[in-house]
Amino acid sequence: MDWASVLYLGFTFGLLVIFILIVWRTYQAKNKRRLEEPKHRMLDDD
Amino acid sequence: METVNYNYAIVRSFITWSIIWGVVTVLVGVLISFQLVLPELNFAPYLTYGRLRPIHTNAGIFGWGIGSFFALFYYMVQRLCRTSLWSDGLAKFQLWFFNATIITAAVTLLLGYTTSKEYHELEWPVDIMVVILWVAFAINIIMTIVKRREPQMYVSLWFMLASLVGVAILYLVNAAEVPVSLFKSYSAYAGTNDANVQWWFGHNAVAMVLTAPPLAVFYYFLPKATGAPIYSHRLSIVAFWSLIFMYLWTGAHHLLWTPVPDWVQTLAMAFSVMLIAPSWGSVFNGYLTMNGQWHQMRENYLVKFLILGITFYGLQTLQGPLQAVRSFSSFIHYTEWVPGHVHMGAMGWVSLVLFAAIYYLVPKIYGRELYSIPLANLHFWLVLVGQLIYSISLWVAGLQQAGMWHAMNNDGSLTYTFMEAFVEMYPYWWMRGVGGLIYLVGILVFIVNLIKTAQGGKPAPEAIQNA
Repeated sequence: MDWASVLYLGFTFGLLVIFILIVWRTYQAKNKRRLEEPKHRMLDDD
Repeated sequence: METVNYNYAIVRSFITWSIIWGVVTVLVGVLISFQLVLPELNFAPYLTYGRLRPIHTNAGIFGWGIGSFFALFYYMVQRLCRTSLWSDGLAKFQLWFFNATIITAAVTLLLGYTTSKEYHELEWPVDIMVVILWVAFAINIIMTIVKRREPQMYVSLWFMLASLVGVAILYLVNAAEVPVSLFKSYSAYAGTNDANVQWWFGHNAVAMVLTAPPLAVFYYFLPKATGAPIYSHRLSIVAFWSLIFMYLWTGAHHLLWTPVPDWVQTLAMAFSVMLIAPSWGSVFNGYLTMNGQWHQMRENYLVKFLILGITFYGLQTLQGPLQAVRSFSSFIHYTEWVPGHVHMGAMGWVSLVLFAAIYYLVPKIYGRELYSIPLANLHFWLVLVGQLIYSISLWVAGLQQAGMWHAMNNDGSLTYTFMEAFVEMYPYWWMRGVGGLIYLVGILVFIVNLIKTAQGGKPAPEAIQNA
């Protein structure tokens, strides 16, 4: 495997790790209230 | 309570112009659909199918679609950030530059100046206008978000930001070209690389123009219309990031069975199928928001548009991945099935959501009640029936066409000539034209309702100039 392929593979793996971290953080119990709060704001009058 | 001076004048202006371009795109669409069955409707050289078709697509995507998103983004960003626009002057410049760009695009296309890249036909001077326009828009929206007074961003803002960044990258990369005269350029890429970049752009234009912005609109206006919060904001965030991580790999599914490397095609196919998950994350979020609210499908015309819109999005995002699978693609690619698919997205998903948002906004920004709810319901049924006739007739046409193209005799020769399959398309093309006409009538009803609302509707109990 050449260096370019290694870099591509590393980049792809890095993206996957970032994505997993986003999902993990979003569904952590301690973040639930803060992350669900904006949806209730939508019921304010325009 | 501190008041904010929201700029609704710019929202009104963009709505007006986007509807004008929307009428142009449907009118031209109906004309070119009849040009297929009545060739005498082609008036060479300017008003032929070949020159009018890109005007139809460009007016639809850039005029009606993006024009409406300009209006709705300017409305939503102010409300979601509880702050006024960063620059009213820049927004006004953008409005008139937008119209100048669309007119220049239409004139150059009519004159036959084209890069011949689908959805990126505009030659390099018009490309520069598009870039200026988008930069002005992006700066204004991003700077408004920067000065927001709500720390936690609602998911619509994420979709808006993705669209701003995504379109900029896609357009700049695919527009890399070498000008040889005022209206002629050659692509900076060659051969299969050119095709690969073009469809990386082409399919992701669908993502960043016809998926992310309508989802921003859907997530904003569904709770406004129903009075119920979306089922899960966290699900919407995960759906957003999944969409962003997966979409950019899928473009090469337009190039299955071509000389593009096999692994690129396989990658695009795999990511296209995976894309079902984030797409349906939003669909489920919409449906689950309706828990206990389904009666509103009978009572609330806005909900009809929004829920049918997200349903067509769901169908579109099942049909799309199916088409991206090699075996099915080999059957239906290049047939009438494909425009049937595309128009379910354009006439069904995107336009239904835009109609709902505009119906919600116009009474508010004019401070009047909607002129006629029965007319809005009539509009709904006309565009729904028109779109279904359009898409279903073309899916059936595509299946028949594919069957005839692939039919073989025992000795390996083709059963049907190309012309035999071609002639069989005529009844379906007539039906497509009729479907388009019904859709056009629906849009005229929509416009009458809006004009009557703006001119003489009953004043609403409260206008929304401040909050």
